[in-house]
Amino acid sequence: MPDGGRRFNSGWIGVVLVVLASLAPLGLNDYQQSFLLQVFLVIALAQAWNLISGMTGYVSFGHAAFFGVGAYAGALFLTWGFPWWLAVMKGAGIALLLAVPLGFLTLRLRGPYFAIAMLGLNEVGRIVATLWVDVTHGGTGLTLSPELLPSLDVKYFTMFALALGATLLVAGIHRSRFGLELRAIREDEEAAEMVGVNTTLNKVIAFVLSALIPGAVGAVYVMYTSYINPSSAFEHARNIEMIVVVLFGGSGTVWGPIIGAGTVMVLRELLWAQFPAAHLAALGVLLLVVVLYLPGGLISILRDRQRTRPDVLR
Amino acid sequence: MELLEPEILLQLLIGGLLAGALYALLACGLNLVFGVMRVINLAHAELMLMGAFGAYVLFTVFGLHPLVSLLLIVPAIFFVGYYLQRFLIERVVGRPMLTSLLATYGLSIILINLGLLLFSADFKSIPALQGSFLIDELAVSKPRVTAGLISLLLTVGVYLFLERTRLGKAIRAVSEHAQVAAICGIDVRRIRMLTFGMAAAMAGAAGVMLSVIYSFWPGSGVDFIQKCFAIIIIGGMGNFVGAFYGGILLGVVEAFVGGFASTQWAEAVAYLLLVTVLLIRPTGLKGVARA
Repeated sequence: MPDGGRRFNSGWIGVVLVVLASLAPLGLNDYQQSFLLQVFLVIALAQAWNLISGMTGYVSFGHAAFFGVGAYAGALFLTWGFPWWLAVMKGAGIALLLAVPLGFLTLRLRGPYFAIAMLGLNEVGRIVATLWVDVTHGGTGLTLSPELLPSLDVKYFTMFALALGATLLVAGIHRSRFGLELRAIREDEEAAEMVGVNTTLNKVIAFVLSALIPGAVGAVYVMYTSYINPSSAFEHARNIEMIVVVLFGGSGTVWGPIIGAGTVMVLRELLWAQFPAAHLAALGVLLLVVVLYLPGGLISILRDRQRTRPDVLR
Repeated sequence: MELLEPEILLQLLIGGLLAGALYALLACGLNLVFGVMRVINLAHAELMLMGAFGAYVLFTVFGLHPLVSLLLIVPAIFFVGYYLQRFLIERVVGRPMLTSLLATYGLSIILINLGLLLFSADFKSIPALQGSFLIDELAVSKPRVTAGLISLLLTVGVYLFLERTRLGKAIRAVSEHAQVAAICGIDVRRIRMLTFGMAAAMAGAAGVMLSVIYSFWPGSGVDFIQKCFAIIIIGGMGNFVGAFYGGILLGVVEAFVGGFASTQWAEAVAYLLLVTVLLIRPTGLKGVARA
């Protein structure tokens, strides 16, 4: 939206945050650094979800599947002797290879089909990872030996780069013609098609880009935990977190996922760390409250104060 | 090849039909809600598990047989559904699909995790019905026959209710065109509450039936909702009869895949069917989706 003053301000806030995050490892202990790494992880995943679901309005309930695929790809390529950065790229690449046919299959359709098809994807991933014992070692999982793994600083900065990259990607798309077309699809797909937007291609491109990010994030994650099994790679809770974080912050916006991730992660750390089920139940309540009463997310409160029209999902 | 003996094929077919009847009961409720208010209830399988855990509590605490508790659970879950509609779903009717999907997704997350807090993640089962009926060479397990037949009975009962009664006619009218129905003097809000209550009750009944056949935990819903989606897409969204056939079809196909390949592959059948139908006939095999 043409609002130069605000954008200028948020740009400076962004620069300050980037500088702080880059200097953070100097002053933090390993535990705090790990926490920040997880915040970056959630930001990157949230921006990925934001890219497809926030911008086009097509809800993906199965994005964690790309994370799982990336995690397995990362673990396998690392054990096969590839350097860590190449393993991360392979993770992204394989998620991309999976997303292209899937996108063309589900996104030429309108309405709820995409959401329904994606809902099961994570589960399919888990079943395949369990059954494909030759490669994945089934339920036993894969353990990475410590000498294969990069240091915490490397993992920290890689995850940071992914979060930053995902955010810049969303910001770039937000300003571009492509982003405008995506939002046109969200508001009225038929009208968008009528004025010449290639809706299917746009949706598929957004989807593929948004699958690539969790693929890479998954590969870094597996280096961080050094162990992966079907249920930790294809964890349903990760889908929930991705969705709630974006909606809570403000979907379809650049800052929404960052604000959402920061808030939810701090709440989790302070309040719910000991009770995973209570944490997820609370996320469910949060989701209901946001959908019913605050459809623009937290960011819409900030924006209303600045008297600008919230640029968010209805 | 021993598997191709007629007895075995018949056995698989019967098993498939019985499982399919349970799927049909569940999916018909989901499709009824979609037909009447264009809302896909992602918490439908959690309402089913509410029925299953209800039966579990009544069995372990009061020693009540699941077939007896069915009589208590069905009305109870009807009211749960009725008030869910009144206070929650009503707010998202008519809003974009995204909104209702996310709202019911939130509901399902809450229910699953409350279930985990109350019942833990252990699998539960109810050892009330056991053994099998022997007819010549065939052995059919008693719980499966009971669950399958009762499911069939309930689904047909709801169908007759929709077709033969005035209230059923009103529900179908709202499903056809809510505004015109309102003009004709139908209280659309009340019809929606009744519909959601009925669909919830069907899910609850399916849950009680499930509890005598399978073991279950609060997260079991994911598998079932996935199957339901495959069924309603195969049968046509919003189409009650289509969902019935779709349920039976899925049950039979799963039984044969389970018999010839492995039960784990049978779990993937629903998803493969879903993808295949989306590829060749996006609007389902029966009826046209108006999404």
